[in-house]
Amino acid sequence: MTNLSRRSFLKTSTAAATLTIALSNTPHLIAQATQGGHVTPCLRVDESGNITVCVPIPDMGQGMITTAAQMIAEELSVNLDDVNVELMPFIGHTNDQGRAEFGRFYQGAGGSGSTARIWYEMRRTAAYAKTLLLETAARQWRVPRASLEARNGEIIETYGTRKASYAAFVSDANGKAHEIFTNGVETKPVSKFRVIGKDQRNVEARKIVTGDPIFGLDADVPDMLHAVIKRCPYLNGTMVSYDDTAAKAVPGVRGTMAISRSSSDGAQRTIAAGVAVIADSLWQAKKAAELLDIQWDGSISVDDSSTTIHSKCIAQTKDGSSVRTAVQTGDIDAAFEQATNTIDVTYDHPTWAHTCLEPHSCIAHVDNDKVEIWVSHQFMDSAINAAAGALNISADNVKANFYRMGTGFGRKAEGDFVIEACIIAKEFDAPIKVTWSREDEMEQDYPNHMGAYRVRAATDEQGKLSAWHIRTALDTGNSTIARLFPSDNAPNVLAEGARIPNNISRGAWRGPSHNTGAWVIQSALSEAAYSAGLDPLDFMTALYNDAGTLKSPTWPYHDVDYRRHSILLRKAAKEAGYGKEMPDGWGQGIAVHHTFVSACAHVVDLEMIGDNDYRVHKVTSAIDCGLAVNPLGIRAQVESGIMDGLCAAKYGKLVFEAGVPITNNFDTYQKMRIDEAPPIVNIHIMDFGDTEPRGTGEVSLPPIIPALTNAIFAASGKRIRSLPISENL
Amino acid sequence: MAISFTINGARRSFNGDEEMPLLWHLREEAGLKGTKFGCGIGQCGACTVHLDGDAVRSCSVPMSSLDGASITTIEGLAEGDDLHPVQEAWIEEDVPQCGYCQAGQIMATVAFLKDTPNPTDDDINNGITNLCRCGTYYRIRKAIKRAAENMQTA
Repeated sequence: MTNLSRRSFLKTSTAAATLTIALSNTPHLIAQATQGGHVTPCLRVDESGNITVCVPIPDMGQGMITTAAQMIAEELSVNLDDVNVELMPFIGHTNDQGRAEFGRFYQGAGGSGSTARIWYEMRRTAAYAKTLLLETAARQWRVPRASLEARNGEIIETYGTRKASYAAFVSDANGKAHEIFTNGVETKPVSKFRVIGKDQRNVEARKIVTGDPIFGLDADVPDMLHAVIKRCPYLNGTMVSYDDTAAKAVPGVRGTMAISRSSSDGAQRTIAAGVAVIADSLWQAKKAAELLDIQWDGSISVDDSSTTIHSKCIAQTKDGSSVRTAVQTGDIDAAFEQATNTIDVTYDHPTWAHTCLEPHSCIAHVDNDKVEIWVSHQFMDSAINAAAGALNISADNVKANFYRMGTGFGRKAEGDFVIEACIIAKEFDAPIKVTWSREDEMEQDYPNHMGAYRVRAATDEQGKLSAWHIRTALDTGNSTIARLFPSDNAPNVLAEGARIPNNISRGAWRGPSHNTGAWVIQSALSEAAYSAGLDPLDFMTALYNDAGTLKSPTWPYHDVDYRRHSILLRKAAKEAGYGKEMPDGWGQGIAVHHTFVSACAHVVDLEMIGDNDYRVHKVTSAIDCGLAVNPLGIRAQVESGIMDGLCAAKYGKLVFEAGVPITNNFDTYQKMRIDEAPPIVNIHIMDFGDTEPRGTGEVSLPPIIPALTNAIFAASGKRIRSLPISENL
Repeated sequence: MAISFTINGARRSFNGDEEMPLLWHLREEAGLKGTKFGCGIGQCGACTVHLDGDAVRSCSVPMSSLDGASITTIEGLAEGDDLHPVQEAWIEEDVPQCGYCQAGQIMATVAFLKDTPNPTDDDINNGITNLCRCGTYYRIRKAIKRAAENMQTA
C-alpha cells in the first residue's frame, strides 16, 4: 500500500460520518450486521444498509452524476432506481508544494472530457468493489466464490438458497477497501453492457422537482454570518476610500472590510477590489452594502469600451500590423494568383457573458490554520487550491464540501468566489457565506473573447479549396481559432493572429475558441462553396473526405478522423431533407465542427419573420461522441448546446462603456425563452464502433451558429458576418 | 404590527423589514431553499411561487404586501410522496439538466395549466416566460403537454 492510496482512503472515509474505519489488512472473519462504510470510494453503505453510489465529478447540468452512476452501476451490478447517488468528496492528494492534485479520479468538469477521463478507473473501481463483496461473501458463507454472483445489489448463491444485500458484507469488505488495487480487475466488454448505452434519466430529478437544497447557494451552516461585497465596477479598478457610516447603522451589521484587487498589476484578475459588509442575515448585508459610499479609481480601464475594442479588432484584420504567424504551409500568394474563385470576408462578434443561473456563493470557516468550505465548483482541486492559496496554507488543511451547480459553463471553474469567502472568514470567528447578486455575476464575469476575423479562401477549377488565409484579432492571445480546420489541412495556408490588449479578464466559455471559431470557419467555407458555384454540403463533404486524420497527442483525447465529419453532414442532411423545396422566406443551413475530439453536424430549418427576424422551426443533428454512455443525457446536452448557441448568436452582447460592464442583468442582457426555442429537435447519435466515450457537453454548440447563419442566408440572401444577429439582420 | 400569512398551509407571522422580498423570507428565514434566486428583478422566474394561487416572482414581492396571503412553494406542491402531475411530467420527460430553474418552471406551469388546461404551442410561448440557462425548453414544452394530458385524464 502506498502512502498515496492510504491518504486517499482516509480523506474519503472521514467524510462519511457513519464509517467504521478498519485499517488492518486482515479482514474481519465474522461480520454479519451492517456497520456501514465504503467499499472503494464509489460505494457507501450506511448503518441502515442503504446503498449509495458515489460519483467523482461535480454536476453542473452536463449530467455527470448520472453518467458516472451508470458506469458504476454497470460494474457493481446495482439498479440505479434502488440506490442513492451522491457526489464523492475530493479523494486526491496534496503534492510537495502543498497543492491539491487529483488522485485516482479526475474530479473536474471541463473540456467535455469528464466521461472519458474516468472511463477506465471508474469502472475498474466499481468492479473491484464487487469483487471484494463477492470474496467476502464467499468467506462468510464458506462457499467457493465461483458459486456466487452479484445482482441488483445482492450477493446470490447461484445454485443455492442464500442471498443477502451488499450491506451485509460491507464492514467486512471495507477492511481491504483502502487498497484500491484495480490492476487486473476485469471490466465488462462492450457487448455485455446492460446499463451503459441505455437511456437513464437524471438521477437527481426527484430532488430537483421537489426543491431539495442541493445547490451551493442552498448551503447553510450553523452560526454563519453573511457577507455581501460591493465590487469595483471598473475593469481592473481599485478602491480609493469608502464611508461605511450608513451601512454600519443597519441593524445586524457586524462590520465592513476592504478587499484589494489581485493581482495588483492590471493583469488577469484573481479577485476584484471591493468592500464587504458582514451581517447576521443576507438581507441586512444586501441592504447595508447599498449604503456604502465608495470612491473607485477606474482610470486604468477608461479607454476600454466595447466599441473601441471592436474597432481595434477590425483595424487589425485589415492592416495586420501586429499579427503573429500560427500556421504557414505551401505558397499562399501563388495559390491565390492561380485560383478560379476567391472570397475575402470579415466576421466579428462581441463578448458573451456566462450568466450562470445560480449566482456564485461560498461559505468558508477558518479555524487557525485550517479552513472548511462549502461551494459549488467545477473543479475540486481548483476550489481547494483557491482556498489554500487565499490563506497561505497547505491543501491538506482545506476541507471542502461540494454541491450541485446551477450551471457552470466555465465560470464556476474560477477561484474568485472561494478566495473572497476565505479572506473574509479569516477575520471572523464564524463561518462566512458570501452571496453574489446577478449584477455581481455579470460585472465580474470572466467572459468569452471578443474578436474580428478576416478570411480569404481560394478554390481551384475543380471547386476544391486550394488556399486558406485566416487572420484573427482577438482580445486574447489565443491562436486556437487560427489553427482550426482547414488550417491543419489545406494545401496552402497562412493562419495568423493579433492580440488586442484590454482590461477584460477572460475565461473559458462553453466550447472555448470553438464557440465562435466554428461560426467563422463554417460560414467562410459556405461562402467559398457558393463562390465556386457549389452547394456547401457537396463542397464540405468532399473537403472532409480528403482531410485525413487530426492526431491528438494527449489522453483521453482521441484522433479525429475527418471522414466522420462527412458522414455526420450527410446524416444530418438526409434526416432533415436538406435541399428540399421550401416556401419563400424559408431556408436550411448546414454546418459541422469538432470541439475537442467529438463532432456534431446540424441542419437548421427556419422561416424569416419580416426582414429582421426569424423563427427556427427545426434542428436536425448528428453527433459523434464516441461510445454513448447515456443516449438520453447526450440528447439533453445536444439540445442544450443548440439553445445556448442560438441564444448567444442572436442576443449575446456584454457591453463595456469606459471600463464598466453596463449589461449586468437579464433586463439588459437578453436571453431566449421558450417562445424562440425550436419546437422540433431531432438528434442522431452516431455509432462508429468506438469502445470509448469522447465527450459531449460542449460539442453541439459551436456548429449550431453557422448552421443558423447559413440558414438565414438561404432564406433571405443576407450573410450574417457580425453578431449578435438581432442587431445585424 | 406583525404580517400574517401561510406558507404551504402553515401559519407564519413576520415582524422584520417589510421591504424585504418574499424570496429572502422563504430562503433565509423559512428554510425553504427550493425557491431560487436568479436575478432579483423579476426577469428570470427562478423564484416563482404561488401567491393566492397565482404565479408570482417572489424576488419582487415585498413582505409588506403579504398580510393574509396564502403562499405555496415548490416544497408544498406534492402531497406527501405523491408528486404533482407537473412534477411527474418533468421527471418522465427528463427535463432537468442543472435543475436550478426548474422549481420556478414547475410553479409557473402549474399556475398556467389552471387557466389553460389544454395549451397550444402559442399558449405555451405566451404563457411560460421563465429563463432556463441549460436550454431545456424543448423538453419543458413536451412536459407541459404531457402534464396537461395526464391532468385531464386523471
